[in-house]
Amino acid sequence: MKNKLKEIILYLKQKQVDYADARYVNCETEAITVANSSVDAFVRNSNVGVGIRVLFKGAWGFASTADLTTGSLKKTANLALQIARASATTIKSPAKLAEQKVYVDYYKTKIKKDPFQISTDDKIDLLIRACDVLRQDKKIKHTEASMGFFKTNKLFVSSDGAEIEQDIYESGAGCNAVAFDGKEAQKRSYPNSLGRVMATRGYEFIEEMNILDNVERVREEAIELLSAEDCPDTHTDIIIGAPQLALQIHESCGHPIELDRVLGTEISLAGGSFMTVENLNKLKYGSEIVNINTDATIPGALGTYGYDDEGVKAQRKPIIKNGIHVGYLTSRETAPVVNKKSNGTMRADGWNRLPIIRMATVNLEPGDWEFDDLIADTKDGIYFDLNKSWSIDDKRLNFQFAVEAAWEIKNGKKGKMYKNALYTGITPEFWNSCDAICNKNHWQVWGIPNCGKGEPMQTARVGHGCAPSRFRNVKVGVSK
Amino acid sequence: MIGKVKLFKKLESVLAKSKADQTEIVFIGTQSGLTRFANSYIHQNVHENNNRIFIRSVIGNKVGVATANSLVTSELLKTLDASFEIAKQQPENLNFAGLAKPAKYKVMNTFDDDTASYSPKARATKVKSIISLSDEKNFTVAGAFSTSSGEIAVLNSNDLRAYQPFTGTSTNMVVMSDTSSGYASDTSRKVTDLDFETLAKIAVDKCYRSQNPISVEPGDYEVILEPSAIAEAMEWLNYVSFGSKGFLQNMSLLSGKIGKKITSDIISIYDNALDEKANAFPFDFEGTPKKRVNIIDKGVAKSCVYDLNAALKGKTKSTGHAITPDMSAMGASGFNLFMKQGTAKRANMIQNVKRGILVTRFHYINGLIDPRNAVLTGMTRDGTFLIENGEIKSGIKNMRFTDSMTRAFGTTKAISKERERKDSWWSAVGCLTVPAVHLGSFRFSGKTEF
Repeated sequence: MKNKLKEIILYLKQKQVDYADARYVNCETEAITVANSSVDAFVRNSNVGVGIRVLFKGAWGFASTADLTTGSLKKTANLALQIARASATTIKSPAKLAEQKVYVDYYKTKIKKDPFQISTDDKIDLLIRACDVLRQDKKIKHTEASMGFFKTNKLFVSSDGAEIEQDIYESGAGCNAVAFDGKEAQKRSYPNSLGRVMATRGYEFIEEMNILDNVERVREEAIELLSAEDCPDTHTDIIIGAPQLALQIHESCGHPIELDRVLGTEISLAGGSFMTVENLNKLKYGSEIVNINTDATIPGALGTYGYDDEGVKAQRKPIIKNGIHVGYLTSRETAPVVNKKSNGTMRADGWNRLPIIRMATVNLEPGDWEFDDLIADTKDGIYFDLNKSWSIDDKRLNFQFAVEAAWEIKNGKKGKMYKNALYTGITPEFWNSCDAICNKNHWQVWGIPNCGKGEPMQTARVGHGCAPSRFRNVKVGVSK
Repeated sequence: MIGKVKLFKKLESVLAKSKADQTEIVFIGTQSGLTRFANSYIHQNVHENNNRIFIRSVIGNKVGVATANSLVTSELLKTLDASFEIAKQQPENLNFAGLAKPAKYKVMNTFDDDTASYSPKARATKVKSIISLSDEKNFTVAGAFSTSSGEIAVLNSNDLRAYQPFTGTSTNMVVMSDTSSGYASDTSRKVTDLDFETLAKIAVDKCYRSQNPISVEPGDYEVILEPSAIAEAMEWLNYVSFGSKGFLQNMSLLSGKIGKKITSDIISIYDNALDEKANAFPFDFEGTPKKRVNIIDKGVAKSCVYDLNAALKGKTKSTGHAITPDMSAMGASGFNLFMKQGTAKRANMIQNVKRGILVTRFHYINGLIDPRNAVLTGMTRDGTFLIENGEIKSGIKNMRFTDSMTRAFGTTKAISKERERKDSWWSAVGCLTVPAVHLGSFRFSGKTEF
């Protein structure tokens, strides 16, 4: 396949293109869902094809095909060129790419246990046992447990001379229980809500989740929520658990630092960003203890890779330094706008999608606090755990998150449970109210497997490292 | 396009080699082009030629699904074997209803030659016309224009054979000034149905009129929700409540309320894939013929939509709303949603609002907060206006709403006669067809800075 891709790039160079790249992607997936102790779905998927990107007279064209014959690839290359010519009829200034070191390399995710080699019986057995425990109460009306695995082989060849092959593994699992008392339904999940927690790891990641050690608690908390009080409607101090904080980082920092959004190229669908180029190095995004980085090199984290889909090596870079906004997620085309080289965040959701700027891992660096000390230091407040809903405006300022469960904090102690809890705010005000971040003992990267962006829609698997943190005087309420 | 005869010949040769008790093959082939523009030029312009093949093998009650995107015979046979091996390794699935039986389908024309052959150059020409109208006011514009063609086939070992070619096209545009924005969109099976000039003028006008927006305080307001806003709310209600999964889990707004009045009696929501005024389609991804389903009829909760397995659990019949086999754990879904039109002339609807808000469009709605009470939250965007004494007074800064849609629909004062088609992620087999709605009460819980 590499030779076929090289031939296509050579062919396009003969057509006088400014730049071209070709990506072969072969993605195999496996997904198992057990509902109420019965296998609801067991699906294996294979998705193979080639995407060709052409820059011609400063305008972009992209075409992709599942037909891997030489004739089809040449036809696809010609179509990409034809599309670039059509794009050229509207451009105002030609697109240019930042200089980049050219790599010829191979990268592979380090895993201990290949999830595709683990027996089906073992996987199904774990999920059914989890559901069996979750169902051990009549008030639990629905249970679900699932696993998902990705094995992606990618080959990238560019007119700059890059030749990069990558084998990336991703694994994840999760479960939930729905309690119902005839009037109200409440859900609790583990290890995170809204599907699976994933990592660039093998089946060892599933084993280390200790799902069976947690399902009894999940079941009891789902039932307890049915009789819990509604969250009060007030302003108070809040402590956000790490999985929910990961989504907070995702929506209120990860997306608004995508430089393509900032420059307006995602505006019709996903929106723009309040973190404008004019305010780079000036915007006081958060309090002085807020330090956020982008990092595609954390071993095992979802969002870790060797090279992005422009052939740029994975990197770690600062985004927020002592509360000040200092960086963006960039591509070869956008980085020069802020006088930088690409920090390697262009990724495509498969061979049939154009690479766009995507989060790798975007992480809140750990602070100094032990979690128990943070609770003890909070006189009046609420602890928020596991996301239930998320929403944010199209410049990423006004956000609202609801959680599965919350707990009162009174005089330094965790108290009664609250249901239907939500908190809301304006992004910079919120992050400037952060006055405590737990230390590295409580820090973990939380994989988010379903980040949507782009037209046609693309789904990315990304991660956010964080530890529980406290925010002062936040508006909280009940979601009714 | 492969064509019915050639495609069935290929897929039947694979089906014939199955060792399973029952076997099903679903084929979706697409050729799609999408031209995306921002800052008033084309910045992304793509084409995809792809097939998706889903093979479901059944041994007794054990079900295995394997999917691929290669039509090479050896790859198809590998996929068939994989689905069989997966099925073999399963425990019995007592919720499996069996594969669909042969059926007759409504004959409909869902393919348009002009749309199928629409070129990147022709798309660029239309985009340039949008940019020109935006340039006249010194605004910038962003959006997308797509054209696609394809074919969907379902065949199974019960001798079911279903085939339908299709085309589709959609456009959306956001026109922007320094302080405002305006939006317009449309979708159809035929590219000649899209009136780019009218759409661009609407978006330009909304942008022009919403410049220098004022801030209003959150609270309970009368609202006019325009079709895009209604479509976005309905998409979420569909996702969490109109499908079988939410209903059977007691997590739907319909759960425990069938036969009960849940909204104003002028609200009727239904799914009808057989109405060719929208993006019609004759069968679902199990090969079951599509049926019209009244979800809310004159304010009364009636039914969710079903696929075969959900119908078995719900002790009813499939309504023809199965999604693709790889996503079957999500349950059945509406694809062709309509809100029944009313009697109000849309242009006159604001005349009856003393003080209220007109919402063009919502952004980032989420309906997972409290699905049983149909609570949605989201932001307004791209044209939000204050109405006073029956007239648009000014643009306003965007607002967050958090409200129960059944409660809000319970205050419906008027529904427009005119309806618009709106695109969604399932556009190959459907879309939303919705009016503008005047609600007497709608709760805004917050506001933003622009």
